[in-house]
Parts: sequence; C-alpha cells; structure tokens
Amino acid sequence: MMQTRTLAGAKSALILSIVSVGLTGCVTSRVEDARINTTGINAGESVVIMAKSYHQGNKTESDYVSCVEKALGRGSSGLRVIPNQQFVDSLFPWFEPRTAPAETKGLTKLMARPGIADVVEEMGVRYIVWLDGDTERVAQGGSLSCAVGPGGGGCFGFAWWQNDADYIASIWDLDGFESAGTITADISGTSFLPALVVPIPLIARTQTAACKDLAQQLRAFIVQ
Amino acid sequence: MTSALIPLPTVFCQADLYVLIANLRSISCLVLLSLVAAGCSSSVMMADPTIPAPNVEKIPIDVALRIPKEFNNFVHEENILGKEAWSIDLGRSNAIFFTQLFGYLFNNVTVIGPDDDARDFQFDALIEPSIDGFEFSVPNQSKTQTFAVWIRYRLRVYDREGTNAANWTMSAYGKSQKEGMNGGAALQRAALLAMRDAAALMIMQMDKATQVSALANGGLATPRADSAVADVDAKPAARRDDMGVFVIGGIDDDAD
Repeated sequence: MMQTRTLAGAKSALILSIVSVGLTGCVTSRVEDARINTTGINAGESVVIMAKSYHQGNKTESDYVSCVEKALGRGSSGLRVIPNQQFVDSLFPWFEPRTAPAETKGLTKLMARPGIADVVEEMGVRYIVWLDGDTERVAQGGSLSCAVGPGGGGCFGFAWWQNDADYIASIWDLDGFESAGTITADISGTSFLPALVVPIPLIARTQTAACKDLAQQLRAFIVQ
Repeated sequence: MTSALIPLPTVFCQADLYVLIANLRSISCLVLLSLVAAGCSSSVMMADPTIPAPNVEKIPIDVALRIPKEFNNFVHEENILGKEAWSIDLGRSNAIFFTQLFGYLFNNVTVIGPDDDARDFQFDALIEPSIDGFEFSVPNQSKTQTFAVWIRYRLRVYDREGTNAANWTMSAYGKSQKEGMNGGAALQRAALLAMRDAAALMIMQMDKATQVSALANGGLATPRADSAVADVDAKPAARRDDMGVFVIGGIDDDAD
C-alpha cells in the first residue's frame, strides 16, 4: 500500500517536473541600435564576435560570445562567422585582452603593420563586433525550505530572483576602419520557484533571450 | 489455494525493495560525502601550454635560455579560510611555455639547465626567467563566477660575459568563467590566459624593456651601478631598479 502511494507520488512529481520545463518566467526585452555609417556585406565576407578586454573591467561571459556567434550564423539568412579563437590565434598577439585596439584609431595603426591586413583579408573579415556587458542577478526574495526524512522528502515555500542582461555591441567596419554603430540590449527576466512538496521552477532565460535578440538585431543592422 | 500463493511473490518483492532502498541510501550518502570532500579540496593539473606563432619579426640575436629548477615542478596552493583549498600544479608548463615563446621571439635559442655552465655554450645573451609571484582567486573569493590568475615573471638578461644587462619584471593576468560544477578547467584556462598575456607583453616589449638586441654580435652590456660584473652562474642581487611594464588597450607607438 505504502509502495503504491510512493510510486504515485513519484509519478506526480515527474509529471509536474516535465510540465514545469515547458513553463518559463517573465522576460522583458529592449534592443536598440544607433547607426553611424551605412553597412552591408558581400558574399565571402565574414564577421568576428569579440568580448571587450577584461583588462578594462569588462565581464562579458565567454558562453555569451559563443551564443551570439552561433545565433548570428544560424539559419538560411545566417552570416558567415569566423570563430573568435581562430581569429585571435591567427593574429596573435594583436587581439589579446592586453593588446587589442580599444578604438578604431588603433585599428588603423594595427592594419598598417606588416602581414596583419593580409591575414584579415585571407579570412574575409569585414566586421568586428565588440561585446561589452554581462548578466547579473539584481534582486531576489522569498523563502524555500526542503527536508528529507526516512519516509521521503519535500519542499515548501516560494522563491524568486531577477536577472538583468545589459550588453552593448560596437560594430567596426574594416572597410574603411570606421565604427558603423552600436546595438544595446537591455533584457530583464524574473524567475519563480514555487514549491508544494515538489518545486516547480519557472526559469526566465535572460541571457539566452539577450543573445537571440542581440544576434537578430545585429544581423539586420549589418545586412541593412 | 491460489489466493494463498499470491502474497508470496509480493512479500519477496517488498523485501527486495527494502534492500534496494537501503543500498541506494548508503550509496547516496557515500556520493554526498565524496562531493563534500571534493568541494573542500580541489587540485588542478596544468596541461602543456601552446601559444600561437606571433605575427612579428624575430629579434636577430642568439639567446641561451636558462630554465630554473622551479619551472620543472611548480605547485601553488591557495587556502580559503574555512571554505576550501585549491592547488594548481603547473608541472613543466613554464619550461615549455618559455622554450616555445623564445623560439618564436629570437633567431636562435639554446635551452640550458639550471646546473649547466653557461661558458660551455655560445650565445649573445643569456636570459633567465623566474616566477616572482603567483596568485589566483576562485569564485568564493571574488563573488563572481570567474577564476583569475596573476603571474609575476622576472627576466634577468646577461651578456655573453655574464654582466647583468637587464632585470625586467612583468605582471600577467588571466580570467576565465566557471563552467559546470567543477572549476578545475576554468582555473587551468585562467592560468593559460595569464601565460598568453605574459607572452603578448614579452613579444611587444622585450627589446624596448631589456635592449637585448644591443647584445647581438658580441655587444656587451654597460655594467650597472648596482650590479657587479657577475659570473653567469651567480644570482645577481640587483633588484632596486627593476623595470615593470604594463601596457593595456592597443599598440604602443614605440613598440617597433
């Protein structure tokens, strides 16, 4: 009898967990661009996504850079994206966190160095996109407690937290070594975790939303 | 008769289930204990580093690179009071790193051991790197999801007669985001990034900071006021005018 009850409980918990995977928290998103110059991309030309230097206090996560790379290159209208590490290695040591140009003025100087422009041309890089910003937990509250005993366990309570993802993408056009403009992504997501024996996570995927929205806007900005 | 037979397998199954549950409890206790133990102390073994070939011209000079003993077995431990202990074993990674870097940086490099007599070798300059300081921070300390590594290298440069020509210290920094439950890979990557940072600095500033190219073709160093002409095997005492260079955010106009 007890065994049947335990199995039924486990089944309900499993169903609740499966259902909760499909549910998510609330996400609000604002993505804006500020154009300085006209853009466009030809066949064979590519884009590189870089994180601004951590030497200058930037905290952009490496998985966010990878996410934007993948999102920008995905689909039939995807752009040709050169993997960040391949670009940095090919131009070593000129795009290391310590040495990478902080502004387009430095880019002009760098391209004048012997061999650098050839490597860039060989890879077909037309745009360098510099990402700045990060995702942070800005608020949290509620209380949730869990207990486990010989007869089983469970949780009770309610917890929530809010993550803010603020990123700025600066687009440099290597055709003329000018800044083409910037895109800002300001995404806020609140996750909830109610628990009545079984916790039901309603997770807001703030960083993923920031990645998809920024990549979408970036593609539109470059292709124009 | 039939109904009397039915409970037998049920009782058997329940007994089995109890044994299974008891076993699972023991296993989960063991897993929990091992996880707690693993969380208290973490050890990371550094893989052999590789740096890409730099897009610069080599410095036209023959160099002897003296690998110190510590570069063959360097272990650093960090105890975070009341929380956890971390250790990173750099093994031979520094020896490999400097051998590779100097191979890219100079025309000709001869690697000599800590006990070798430098007079047995031909070179324009002898360079002896060492580690002045090594530190790292883990997420518990920085309150971020990142591991950071700082390495302070010192390069002592001698001419072929053993005069100390330069004494250059540099601070390198690497930071890597924690991925997954264990931060070992992130710490290792942060250490590699710090080495790469040091490599970038050395490639860009080596000649400017040490004037090592002036020692080419038998050029001799001007004896410095604070360092007597020393035997190349001796450790120079001069430390007062150490030159620390830290360049960030672009190209130095004088890098050429």
